[in-house]
Amino acid sequence: MIKKICSLAIIFTAYFGYSQEKYTVNGYIKDDANGEALIGATVYVKELSGGTVTNVYGFYALTLTPGTYSIEYSYIGFSTQVKTIEVSANQRIDIELGEEGVELEAVIVAAEAEDENVTNVEMSTAKLDIKTITKIPAFMGEVDVIKSIQLLPGVSSVGEGASGFNVRGGSVGQNLILLDEAPVYNSSHLLGFFSVFNPDAVKDVKLYKGGIPAQYGGRISSILDIRMKEGNIKDFEFNGGIGTVFSRFAVEGPIAKDKASFIVAGRRSYADVLARTFTDALEDGAALNFYDLTAKANYNINDKNRIYLSGYFGRDVFKFDENQGFSWGNSTATFRWNHLYNERLFSNLTVFFSDYDYELKFGDNDRDKFTWDSRIVTYNVKPEFNYFLNNSNELIFGGEALLYRFTPASAEVVSDGEVTDVSVDERKGVEASIYLGNRQTISSRLSMEYGLRVSHWNYLGDGNVYTFNDTTAGFRREVIDVRGTDNWESIQTYANLEPRFSFKYQTDPTTSIKGSYNRMAQYIHLISNTTASNPLDVWTPSSNNIKPQIGEQWALGLFKNFSGNMFETSVEVYYKRNQNQIDYIDGADLLLNEFLEGDLLVGDGRAYGAEFYVKKNKGKLTGWVSYTLSRSELQVDGINNGEWYPTRFDQTHNLTFAGFYDLSERWSLSANFTWISGTPTTFPTDRFIQQGYVIPRIDDNARNNVRIPDYHRLDISATRYGKKFKKNGKPRKVEDFMVFTIYNLYSRKNPFSIYFAQEDGRPPEGQNITTEARQVSIIGSFFPSISYNLKF
Amino acid sequence: MRNLFIYLLFFAAIVSACDDRIDVALDGSDPILVVDAWITRQAQPQVIKLSLSQAYFDNTNPPTVTGATVTVTDEDGVVFNFPEQDAGNYVWTPQNATDSFGTVGKNYFLSVALADGNQFSSAARLGRSPAVDSVTFRFEEEEEFFPEESYLAELWARDFEGVGDTYWIKAWKNNVYLNRPEEINIAFDAGFSEGAAVDGDIFIRPIREAVNPFDEDEDDEVLRPFEMGDSLYIEIHSLNRESFFYIQQIQVQIDRPGGFGELFSAPLANVGTNIIPSESNPDVEVAGFFNVASVTAGGRTLTEDAVRQEE
Repeated sequence: MIKKICSLAIIFTAYFGYSQEKYTVNGYIKDDANGEALIGATVYVKELSGGTVTNVYGFYALTLTPGTYSIEYSYIGFSTQVKTIEVSANQRIDIELGEEGVELEAVIVAAEAEDENVTNVEMSTAKLDIKTITKIPAFMGEVDVIKSIQLLPGVSSVGEGASGFNVRGGSVGQNLILLDEAPVYNSSHLLGFFSVFNPDAVKDVKLYKGGIPAQYGGRISSILDIRMKEGNIKDFEFNGGIGTVFSRFAVEGPIAKDKASFIVAGRRSYADVLARTFTDALEDGAALNFYDLTAKANYNINDKNRIYLSGYFGRDVFKFDENQGFSWGNSTATFRWNHLYNERLFSNLTVFFSDYDYELKFGDNDRDKFTWDSRIVTYNVKPEFNYFLNNSNELIFGGEALLYRFTPASAEVVSDGEVTDVSVDERKGVEASIYLGNRQTISSRLSMEYGLRVSHWNYLGDGNVYTFNDTTAGFRREVIDVRGTDNWESIQTYANLEPRFSFKYQTDPTTSIKGSYNRMAQYIHLISNTTASNPLDVWTPSSNNIKPQIGEQWALGLFKNFSGNMFETSVEVYYKRNQNQIDYIDGADLLLNEFLEGDLLVGDGRAYGAEFYVKKNKGKLTGWVSYTLSRSELQVDGINNGEWYPTRFDQTHNLTFAGFYDLSERWSLSANFTWISGTPTTFPTDRFIQQGYVIPRIDDNARNNVRIPDYHRLDISATRYGKKFKKNGKPRKVEDFMVFTIYNLYSRKNPFSIYFAQEDGRPPEGQNITTEARQVSIIGSFFPSISYNLKF
Repeated sequence: MRNLFIYLLFFAAIVSACDDRIDVALDGSDPILVVDAWITRQAQPQVIKLSLSQAYFDNTNPPTVTGATVTVTDEDGVVFNFPEQDAGNYVWTPQNATDSFGTVGKNYFLSVALADGNQFSSAARLGRSPAVDSVTFRFEEEEEFFPEESYLAELWARDFEGVGDTYWIKAWKNNVYLNRPEEINIAFDAGFSEGAAVDGDIFIRPIREAVNPFDEDEDDEVLRPFEMGDSLYIEIHSLNRESFFYIQQIQVQIDRPGGFGELFSAPLANVGTNIIPSESNPDVEVAGFFNVASVTAGGRTLTEDAVRQEE
């Protein structure tokens, strides 16, 4: 496969040909404080009025005819460097940029980097650097990557405490979350209150909501690409802190100076440690905690080779006693090898392993117990090539092969000493794809990015393959045929073409119009019919009964910057059409069910909306306002009489504000405000009695026929930085700061849901039963917190 | 799954969710016929109730449907008449103390003809229910989620060999029927569900123990399920595949734990029905279910002798 791609690339090269002798200038752009690669840094050649940006490893390459050039290297928040070079041969120029304000030299105003949102062909992406994320007031003061991106246009969640996030009307299971390229299946600790990413180890977060390039695939809604820090290659550094929930630490430093470095970062909740002193509820092996550990090392073998090894391990543990409880967690391991074949052909080979598993155990003795393990294991090989063909064309091509092993349940029930195995067969599948994309600059005004991804799914044995009967949509289907299969036997295959296209047309230096189309295929499906996804939700593969989900999106945007890039603005509209969306029969049994597929329904989805965004980049006050007007709907036979209905996360209006104000050298203030129109839910119209119980009834069996009240919330925080100098005037070694946060400042009881039930308590037999409506607010009052952070 | 809520409760100690009663305006709709036809083969009067649905917050007794003709016919053509006794109550009365209704394994057909001419029918297979072997009590001196020094009752019965027997286990403490939504106790064979069948075993422990009431006092403190002198009476009613699924749907709809549990609640939806309008009135809406059950029973009063010693 790789050979084929290579030869294809060669044909490309031959086709474009060379009219004049050309040389390549390439290299890495890094942060001079710690040697971290800068992703998406701009390389601008004044003489050509154009240039390139660094890839995810900080690498760039330019093709130049002989001559003298003035090249600007810039990155937001960093001082720009200008190099004048004489090109007469291939050259390697590695650049280290210093943070703005840190360097003493005169700061060059960097216009080129800051208008990237206008000049870059990319649209529908959201980038947050970890510094901004750190400033956002967070629940319980815990800096949170996933919660932060929810402040951006087009991103939302079903409510507080809900895990995951929704992008442009897509469900939680339609987002691919990559941590150093390895998928993370559950992004939350403690249900959905905290995300699993340790901010001390995260370098860069980028969310693709649309216009997704060909190198990404596997989910139809979005790609969240999280890159971990490489570790300070120059000096040892310690970061740590104590928050309301977590205590954290991170150590990074060189293994061999300028050659190899590492980072190890860990977090653990400590409520249980404190609780032990007050209560004996946590004795006898009882536990309640969650933790994560992130580690990474890299070794710069030589100019042409660099390897990275990174790993993540996180877990939530809750045990009633030694033998009973739950735990769940992700672990990932990624090995990457960057190799420069020549000046212009950059390659990366990724091999990863990812595992999400949970474990339940009940029963305090061996005569009566229940154990259940579930896991999804993914193995992947992904060679990728970045070919800097010339200054107008940057090719990216490669392939990916993923092997999934799903173990929905390895479970055992022991009843009065009798053992029953209730395991659900292991499922296997291989997702293989090849892709080719090109980023082409046609003129200084017009550029395009286009590509094609071809994906293929092979559903593999062993295990039983079921055929279900056809029944009225909405009812449980019965098995009519069972067939055993051999190990690795191919049961069902699917293939899809996934074209991608985006363009940018710049009408003037500060204004551009962008458009994009992408088609995505998703072969694995998150099975969840509850309001929020929960840790026990299983993933299930496309099979003879489940077709892959197909998502298409069209988007158009207008981007404009004002006042010398002080203000960034954008308007984007999108339309999405999704096929083979999964929903569930009423009363579906989704967990530990060998016949799960008989409880699934299939339909179509559509989503459309407009996103407005204004961001202020400079000055004492920075921040953004985002407003999204949107709709997200499903049409599934068997639900809502087969008519379109809004999804649970459909939010007509979503307004967010995030502001940061530098009050003085010691104090900075942050606030964020969110206003979301009420999400849809189903209210009953009538009731009836059956066997003494009051059963709700919905006229016409409508789904999501009303909306709960609006949600709005204001959070504020103040950060106090420690003194920079000691009393004797010497600089302190330790940098520290305290963050005071108040979440939900005006104590609004925001509704998470409204539900209907008969009055609590035991109704006297034969008497009338009172029914009532109840509203649940997950965090119904203001919530103050303090965290302390230090670095040395 | 239910145990996940215990976890949630634990978390609630850290952050508390608010769960408040509120007023909402609901659109009512036209009432529809509700058939409540859960009859048993016990030698007792068997009642089929016909009523109408009502607005959700209408807390009065539902309007009855009178003047209907209700019969049940078995697969051999034997007809059992259910003449109306009180308004909306249609009752079959046994001829004598041993006159039992129905035979295990046979199919039964319900026929309802309303005064307005609309007709409905249904069918149900009479399943089997296993004998109650015994009821025991276990002393729990100290357990996480119960009050100290509680007695927990346990029902001992063994599921029949062969996958697909389904049961509804009903319990009475001191002659009070345990009728809270969270006390609905159904079994698919000896376990919870079809997709994870536990066949031919003693009922699994969560089912054995679901006969305990966990009432709360005014301060929301959980009361001891059983104390010395309390009695427990249990009936195992047979279900079939359809009626089991129906009760499972009812559980989803009415057993709402509230609070953090709302994070993981399934959408509200109508439960199914096995009552079918006749071809002459196919579009008339109807709710409710028809089931014919075998019933086995057992019980015990909590005395020192009834306490099971842990081995």
